[in-house]
Amino acid sequence: MDHVKLVGDPIDISHIHELLLDDGCGASSVFVGTTRDNFQGKKVVSLAYEAYDNMAIKEMNKICSDLRSKWPGLKHIVIHHRLGTVPVREASVVIAASSPHRSEALESVSFAIDQLKTRVPIWKKEIYEGDHEAEWKENKESIRAKQSLSSFNYSACPCQVEESHEVPQKLVQIRVNDAELSKRLECFVNRKRDEINSQNIIDFKHPPADSVPELSDSCARTQSTVIKQEKSNCHIKVRRVNNRSFPQQMELRPNYELELNKLMGSRDGQNEPSVKMRKSLYDSRLLTIESYMGLAPKSEDDIFSRIKTLEDRILLLESISPEYKHFTNIEPSSLEPPAPKKTRKKSYSAHELGMLIEKIKNE
Amino acid sequence: MSADGPVVNVHVLFFAKSRELAQTPRSKVDVPSQIVASDLLDQLVTRFDLASIKDNLILAHNESYIENLSDKILFREGDELAVIPPLSGG
Repeated sequence: MDHVKLVGDPIDISHIHELLLDDGCGASSVFVGTTRDNFQGKKVVSLAYEAYDNMAIKEMNKICSDLRSKWPGLKHIVIHHRLGTVPVREASVVIAASSPHRSEALESVSFAIDQLKTRVPIWKKEIYEGDHEAEWKENKESIRAKQSLSSFNYSACPCQVEESHEVPQKLVQIRVNDAELSKRLECFVNRKRDEINSQNIIDFKHPPADSVPELSDSCARTQSTVIKQEKSNCHIKVRRVNNRSFPQQMELRPNYELELNKLMGSRDGQNEPSVKMRKSLYDSRLLTIESYMGLAPKSEDDIFSRIKTLEDRILLLESISPEYKHFTNIEPSSLEPPAPKKTRKKSYSAHELGMLIEKIKNE
Repeated sequence: MSADGPVVNVHVLFFAKSRELAQTPRSKVDVPSQIVASDLLDQLVTRFDLASIKDNLILAHNESYIENLSDKILFREGDELAVIPPLSGG
């Protein structure tokens, strides 16, 4: 049984012991909190307790049910707290429990006093001897309100934003609240994820190879194709795709580290690069671009024909991948030749023609 | 207390230090029927001169602690609100 009470008179320990007694219990534990006679060198005369009565009873009952769920073997629980003025050496709080075995009684009482100091709305004021002012005490365990980060008061910090109404046309401006914005962002991310997923399925899962010509624009390094083999239920054949001109083919990229080391090494002991050295410098840079573009220059080609080849390559790439062309900030209209002037040929009626011929004949 | 939206009248109880600062054990105030706990606390602190202990206060609404100051509280007419300074029972 739970005995929860706020009392105005001195607490009778023997009465509490009677409340605990039970034939089936081998242990009862009693904690008695008494008032001390000193605090930081000041002599305490008495303590005045006050409570938020209804809520205190409610919280004490909550502690009882917590104890019972933690230690189901508990038989009786007593929580009595004294209110009003309590002289020194008298009990202000008594917590007691009985159980068949001692560990439950001991542990639960210790837990309960901690909880009481944390949650039960009771306050004490120490009244000191002499001229010292009475002081409200604070339990270090006392419950405190959580300061959430989101409770930051943004309106207290006004933020000046210079608003320009000239927004570049390719930007989209959306004015919505945070919830709507995060919803839109989430939708956008989800859509992109779906796009990537479906692209991956297309890249990596071809239908049987003989029915579809090889996809040259796939980014997939490997493609698996399921081909049914003779005398076998199913067999997975992995086909390797060699994307020569795609940047993920690392081994086809120029070895920057090697090139750099070469440059650094050849600069040692020579402050002024010689003409030959300069030649090899642009040569190697040109070579880097060529190998990146997948071109192999012939040894007899001079520099201009090599640049011409590169230009041709860029033109080719632009024509097959026009979607990248807009990254170069060139107005397409300025590149197009001006539209030819429209001249309309004059048409003549039969009568006019006849007049014309007559005129020529007469001349 | 001024605020937009519907307003309800609630009982406010003060204890210990907060009772001494407010110079009353209880009062009746009008509060918005819906308010964030930290805003409510700010309003109470201003109205009842509790600034000196405002960082250590916790509110209880109908005898339950409002543990998180960012919680939104819904009030009904006649609800009980308690201003609770740090506990010292035991």
